[in-house]
Amino acid sequence: MMPILEVISVGSGMTLQDSGRSGWRRFGVAPGGAMDQHGMVQANRLLGNLQHAPVLELMRQGAQLKVLADTWLALSGGGFCAELPAWSARFFEAGSVLHFSELSEGLWAYLAVPGGFVAPKYFESVSVDTRSGIGSGLKQGERLYAKGPIIAGQYPRVRQRQVHPDLQKVYPDEQQIRLLPGPQYDSFAADSRRLLVEGLWQVSPRSDRTGYRLDGGVLEPAPSIHSEPVISGSIQVTTDGLAIVTMRYGPTVGGYPKIAVIREADLDQFAQCGPGTRIKFIWEHY
Amino acid sequence: MGDFKTIRYGERGLLVCDLSFEIRIRLESCAENQSLPWLQEVVPGYDSLLFLMQSENCLPALVRWLSAQDLSAQWDDSDRGILEVPVCYNGPDLRTVAEAIQCSVETVIELHSSAEYRVRMMGFTPGFPYLDGLPERLHLPRRGSPRNHIKPGTVAIGGSHAGIYSVASPGGWNLLGETDLRLFQPEKSRGDVDGSEAAFHLRVGDRIRFVSIGEFAL
Repeated sequence: MMPILEVISVGSGMTLQDSGRSGWRRFGVAPGGAMDQHGMVQANRLLGNLQHAPVLELMRQGAQLKVLADTWLALSGGGFCAELPAWSARFFEAGSVLHFSELSEGLWAYLAVPGGFVAPKYFESVSVDTRSGIGSGLKQGERLYAKGPIIAGQYPRVRQRQVHPDLQKVYPDEQQIRLLPGPQYDSFAADSRRLLVEGLWQVSPRSDRTGYRLDGGVLEPAPSIHSEPVISGSIQVTTDGLAIVTMRYGPTVGGYPKIAVIREADLDQFAQCGPGTRIKFIWEHY
Repeated sequence: MGDFKTIRYGERGLLVCDLSFEIRIRLESCAENQSLPWLQEVVPGYDSLLFLMQSENCLPALVRWLSAQDLSAQWDDSDRGILEVPVCYNGPDLRTVAEAIQCSVETVIELHSSAEYRVRMMGFTPGFPYLDGLPERLHLPRRGSPRNHIKPGTVAIGGSHAGIYSVASPGGWNLLGETDLRLFQPEKSRGDVDGSEAAFHLRVGDRIRFVSIGEFAL
């Protein structure tokens, strides 16, 4: 274990993340973890890490990191870093600085280090969940540690490693997301079910890791229900007809009816949709 | 034989609905005690139980398992001890609640602390208990506008439930007092997974009574 990076600027936010927590929802603990699990896995694979090793998750822009040791680093997801293109890994000398800029297309970027980052685990995960008081975010000047081993000549005569093109994601400004009926699908009016797939939706700027609000239309509310479990990707409709997608840090139970749930395979892609991305939903069935 | 109303919920979820408290608790403990290989986790709702499977392919195994459950035997947990929650009744909404039901603050405290409660489910935040058993006179709507910051340990009522805030959070319930019990201690989950349950003071099904340890000082 050795210091590998120093936070010069946190930008719009950075936390250490992994695959999150499983099995604790019944106590009210959200799964958490990297918002885009595919991005996390690919960054780790570039360095030969376990695929769920802790990575640094960077939100959108402004972050700066100083490299403290000669090492390979990998980046994936929706970030834009001048020194390290997304979906690739390369060697850095101690003293180099990584700059993340606003040119990014997605919301979340993932930086992996050899062996993964070292951080305290709560319920077997390093995932920081500030809403639940689990862990804390990173601060300027903080040093991050890699599990290692850090071998400068790990990939001799290799200048850059890349994720296979089929596994590299792009984040176009128009996206299609597939839906399955939610538990209360039948109690919504046919017009609301139609509006969900005929309208053009955008993630509201008033969104966070617990939930993405959808702008683009008002749905007819359905009768309220007794609080029941809520899974990530559920589209809840409030009493005002506002649609909110519960994300990985959202409450584990809730009383709003759920019209739909995003297909698991599309949830990483949806998580990368920032304000401005136009979203077209498509109904699929069980 | 089990005959349950179920709804699909996402690829890996099956929601079992319209369960009585007793049946829900027994079905949950059956699932947890059998270490079923196809099951990722079960999550209780108010009158529902969500089964999250390891993969969508496990659905037939889950449906078979559900139909084989026999919950007809008598169930009795009256020998389960009652946990006491010490409360200092100094909450900012005591007077509002008293005015709403046209009684004195002392009566509000008396009503709240004389009832026996049961942890119906947990959620909202880690370790937050939704408590059944609130006397009907105290069933009041939530506040029109939620507060931004409520301290952990704050004892509150909302609708037909009583609760205790477990972490600092926003919230719309009426606040009656505070306890120094820590309902959620994440630092106790730092070790191995089997010990991590120690992070929670309460379990679903626990019986609870509030005990006044101090009068309001407003």
